[in-house]
Amino acid sequence: MKISKEKFGQAFDALVAEYQIIAPVSDANGIAFKGVKSFSEVKQDYLNSKLPPKAFFFPQHEKLMSYKKEGKDVSVKSELKVENTVLFGIRPCDAKGMQLLDMVFKNDQYTDPYYYERREKSVIIGVACNKIAPTCFCSSFGISPAGSEGSDLLLIDLGDSYDVEMITEKGKALAARFEALSELSADEQALVDKIKSAVTPSKVDVSNTTSKLDKMFNSPFWDTLQEKCIGCNVCSFSCPTCHCFDISEEVRKNEGTRVRTWDACMAPLFTLHGSGHNPRDQKKARWRQRLMHKFNYFVHNNGAMACVGCGRCIKSCPVNMDIRQVIDGANKAELVVE
Amino acid sequence: MGEIQVEAENKKYEPKIAAFLCNWCSYAGADLAGVGRVQYPATIRTIRVPCSGRINPLYVLKAMANGADGVLVSGCHPGDCHYISGNYVARRKFALIKSLLNHVGLEEDRISFSWVSAAEGIRFAEVVKGVTERVSALGPNNGIFKVDDGGAADE
Amino acid sequence: MNKIINDIRETARQLLAEGKVDVVIGYEKGSLPLKATPCFVHSPESVDLLIWDETCENNLAGYLAKTPGKKAIVAKGCDSRALAVLLQENQLVRDDLYIIGVSCHGVIDQRKIGAEVGEILEASINDGKISVKGMEGDKEYLFTELKDATCQTCRYPNPVIEDLHIGETIEVAQEAPAFADVTEMENKSNSERQEYFKEQMSKCIRCYACRNACPLCYCQECFVDCNSPKWLTGGVNRAENLFFQAGRVLHLAGRCVDCGACTRACPQGVDIRALNRKMTKDVYVMFNHESGISEEGKPALNEYSANDPEEQFLVKE
Repeated sequence: MKISKEKFGQAFDALVAEYQIIAPVSDANGIAFKGVKSFSEVKQDYLNSKLPPKAFFFPQHEKLMSYKKEGKDVSVKSELKVENTVLFGIRPCDAKGMQLLDMVFKNDQYTDPYYYERREKSVIIGVACNKIAPTCFCSSFGISPAGSEGSDLLLIDLGDSYDVEMITEKGKALAARFEALSELSADEQALVDKIKSAVTPSKVDVSNTTSKLDKMFNSPFWDTLQEKCIGCNVCSFSCPTCHCFDISEEVRKNEGTRVRTWDACMAPLFTLHGSGHNPRDQKKARWRQRLMHKFNYFVHNNGAMACVGCGRCIKSCPVNMDIRQVIDGANKAELVVE
Repeated sequence: MGEIQVEAENKKYEPKIAAFLCNWCSYAGADLAGVGRVQYPATIRTIRVPCSGRINPLYVLKAMANGADGVLVSGCHPGDCHYISGNYVARRKFALIKSLLNHVGLEEDRISFSWVSAAEGIRFAEVVKGVTERVSALGPNNGIFKVDDGGAADE
Repeated sequence: MNKIINDIRETARQLLAEGKVDVVIGYEKGSLPLKATPCFVHSPESVDLLIWDETCENNLAGYLAKTPGKKAIVAKGCDSRALAVLLQENQLVRDDLYIIGVSCHGVIDQRKIGAEVGEILEASINDGKISVKGMEGDKEYLFTELKDATCQTCRYPNPVIEDLHIGETIEVAQEAPAFADVTEMENKSNSERQEYFKEQMSKCIRCYACRNACPLCYCQECFVDCNSPKWLTGGVNRAENLFFQAGRVLHLAGRCVDCGACTRACPQGVDIRALNRKMTKDVYVMFNHESGISEEGKPALNEYSANDPEEQFLVKE
């Protein structure tokens, strides 16, 4: 079913009363996901945002709780305040990234209440990609530029209307507010089929990467790989699936707050223990960790690769470390015979 | 109830000024002012450092970040440093600190540097009076460098 | 340009074959159009990876202290100044270094191109002309239009310290540095400047790419990582970001060589140079000092004179 952009815009604007709406807007640095009050503020023709939308479920700096000591009593207050949210314009790679984050923040042993409260109270309206950049390589992971995994509703841009696909119950409920839905014409259906069958020209072969990495922990491949990395946090902060964090206490006299902030395994002090020992004090160990985590450990633990091929790390890395080249290198690396 | 309210309104705004004083000259000068019962506003919170050369620019930033409305840094007169050259090194640093902080929009009068010797008790009081007047006129710190307890990211 | 590349490769080949160095650090073609990437060549067979052109934007000096053994480095003017400061500060052993100096006309500002043509699909550089095919359009540029802001005011295109010079030397006008960009900012009102820097700081995501790309930020424990005392809390907001940037710039005052690597590394386009340039100007005007212009000498804040200016900052009584 399709809806004209005009009608969609009206439904969108009506949502503003009940939901916080996050959508792609143009800013000094490119595209960013920000709060909007009307469909007219949304950037129509865009590739993707500079930073991933994971911050809406997993903020960069989040107050977990605050506490106050009064005499012998301590009062603890939760700092979690979540509004109903609609995330509009999420690309299939980022939506899939949310699904991967779900595996981390909710599993058999633990559900992260902060992440989950935000997740439950939001609806994701994905928008399929009409344009593919040379740094996009989502097809490597079985993600389609028109993929629906992770979205509640998927829209495909047909020019002056959107093809609307209901993916989840949540999405269906939201779509109930859309008026004047109509059937797609034959041409429009053909366009939808074309978009759905698109693949990214850039693809890495990851079919054997996990099993290859199983045997590569001591490979000399890691020695040369890490040389040019400068150990900043750009790749981790730009990645839709990276999720490492640090928890700290900010205390002043008798009051304090417990805070969670993003952290990155690329930082030299990431694994510094209280004792002073640092198991990953070599950059080589940190790069090995990054690649193994994304393409081996995560696969063993959760059954999926922790990369969605969005290309942000490739574009933003100050020294042009290209994860596609790294994967190719790992695939080709000689195994050291023990 | 009414009395207390009136009192609160009449109370003038008193700035909090972090004062980094070098042990051998400025701190001794402040001490001399105290011993001589020379009056000066109780706005400064003194932090004794061994030498003005010890001042890391982060101290000034952190004092502002923690809510100080102004910062005073005071050392020995050039040529009189107990450690010979500490204040010469500090002199260059202070010039740059003042210049950069002013450049990012911090009001000039919030950060003050002075040379006060151990014998200058009265002068120390005058310096503090002057600094207090200028910082009061600017009003409270508007949070340009605020580092908040668990402060939320702003949009 | 080709002769320079050949000479760089030949020099690297000889140095490695003769065992004079264990590694040559230079640039190779990156995986994206108009992007070069640092290259670590360990064997004579791989020297043909080395390139030299207007995309060689990284400052390689920062890698040296962390690379063991004897190393050669392809250094442009600003990189060599960083080397000079590192030597002044005893961070490097001169005998372990072989500096291959190349005079530099400047590097391209990638961000400018991206803003106009979108993501770059293809590009080529020919004789000072850059043709770009982007996702949102095609364009032809003259190199001078795309020159990085740092390079536009560069006064040291020729390496100040080197073991071998490749290519010609570039003539520099002998006039004193101008700092027009800093003066323009200084002439704005206090509140205008505050607004400008607040806006810049709202873009910062505290990824520390600026710090890590800088050859002179080499502290084992940076103040941002320090827990005792805890200077920063990790709150990503304008005020704390400004604290970080101002703190870093003040730690670099008198040492920064104005290479621009920080601003180019920043994924968010924060105008970090505005702060560093202010310090560079002050250090020049107040102390008549330019950092890293020779191997001898000391950074500005390690020296002092009896005549250092003090009226500008002393409290008025």
